[in-house]
Amino acid sequence: MYKLCPQSDGQTKSVKRLVDNAYIPFDPANTDYQEYLKWLAEGNTPEPAEGT
Amino acid sequence: MSSIVIAGDTSGSVTLQAPAVSGSTTITLPATSGTLLQSGTTVTEAQGGIGTTVGYNGFKNRIINGDMRIDQRNAGASYNQVNGQYSLDRWAGNSFDGGAATNKFSVIQSSTAPTGFSNSLLVTSLAATSSGASNIFNIEQKIEGFNFADFLYGTASAQTLTLSFWVRSSLTGTFGGALKNSARNRAYPFTYTISAANTFEQKTITITGDTSGTWVGSTNGTGLWISFGLGVGSTYSGTAGAWGGGDVFSATGATSVVGTNGATWYISGVQLEKGSTATSFDVRDYGRELALCQRYYFSYLVPATCPQGFGHMQSTTAARILFPNPVPMRATPTFTSLGSLGIASGGTSFIASASSVLGISSAGVQMQFDVSGATAHQTCVYRDSGGTTFSAEL
Repeated sequence: MYKLCPQSDGQTKSVKRLVDNAYIPFDPANTDYQEYLKWLAEGNTPEPAEGT
Repeated sequence: MSSIVIAGDTSGSVTLQAPAVSGSTTITLPATSGTLLQSGTTVTEAQGGIGTTVGYNGFKNRIINGDMRIDQRNAGASYNQVNGQYSLDRWAGNSFDGGAATNKFSVIQSSTAPTGFSNSLLVTSLAATSSGASNIFNIEQKIEGFNFADFLYGTASAQTLTLSFWVRSSLTGTFGGALKNSARNRAYPFTYTISAANTFEQKTITITGDTSGTWVGSTNGTGLWISFGLGVGSTYSGTAGAWGGGDVFSATGATSVVGTNGATWYISGVQLEKGSTATSFDVRDYGRELALCQRYYFSYLVPATCPQGFGHMQSTTAARILFPNPVPMRATPTFTSLGSLGIASGGTSFIASASSVLGISSAGVQMQFDVSGATAHQTCVYRDSGGTTFSAEL
């Protein structure tokens, strides 16, 4: 499971992996981000950011 | 010696050709019998050569941490393999039986090692896992494209490579593994035999380069994927000894280590080099080997009171922090806080409500932490009670 991490400026450049609280950058070369995209492609949806 | 004898053979002739210069030249023959070197001949390592006709100028071994000295994550502690995760530096493993499987085998940096090595990677089976077509239990390393592009895979000039390693197991028989590309559609399954239980044996596998398929070339993607099977099902196994299509992790019929509860399997001295000869292991100095590993993973495991990153308040709500890295990382890394993270600035501690990894540079990893009530442009420091890790593994 993942949670979105929008910044105070409104941009979202990372997603939080809840199993280990890792912050994953939106870099196509990052394999954790590749796993996240695969997870999304399987029809999953990340949790919204806190307060949204 | 008082005479020179020149002996003829059955046919042909020998010509001693004088150089086209004036003056005298003396050639002194060696005092012992032997054969003079011929151009293009391999000079063995015992003779002071490099043991191969491949012209190396460093970085002979494309495997990083092949002698299993570096263990940043676990520092010698046992680790129960999680599917797709790393144990010793640069060495990952799969524990998959159709879905992620847990507590099937452990990995530890062992001091039981072949002669000349200090460490090995030890796998211990934690159960008698039944065979299944979809099983993938293995240890693997992915070589970055930048470090493999000169092998010219996917072209007519693809280079022959030799994989050598020391292995030991409580089991005997035929074991397997595979090499494959990043797209997981070209693979070369291989086998090796362990003849004696609980004895280190060196294995050498020479593989002709793959002239087909798509390989990533000189990029920061996966250039070559090396898998050592510990129990791989038929779906992910292939016939040994030839390149072919498919997503393969081992050879058909290979012995399953995870199939026997308590079975052990050690590996060390893993070397992948150009050419058809397994030369001696390329021992690199510890600092360089560690730096090679830190391109993919490093951690700040420092006292909780010691700052790990430094920066400034970008605004009243955002702290920008730079974490110095030992070497430039392969890609923008995943950031993990192992404890309780905090930002300190102007005598005030802030709790970050959100974090983003902004990017990397030669100086370090840049991050933004959302805070509230800060004073813009004040300097700040980052500290974490449990340490922080950065991962840009393949």
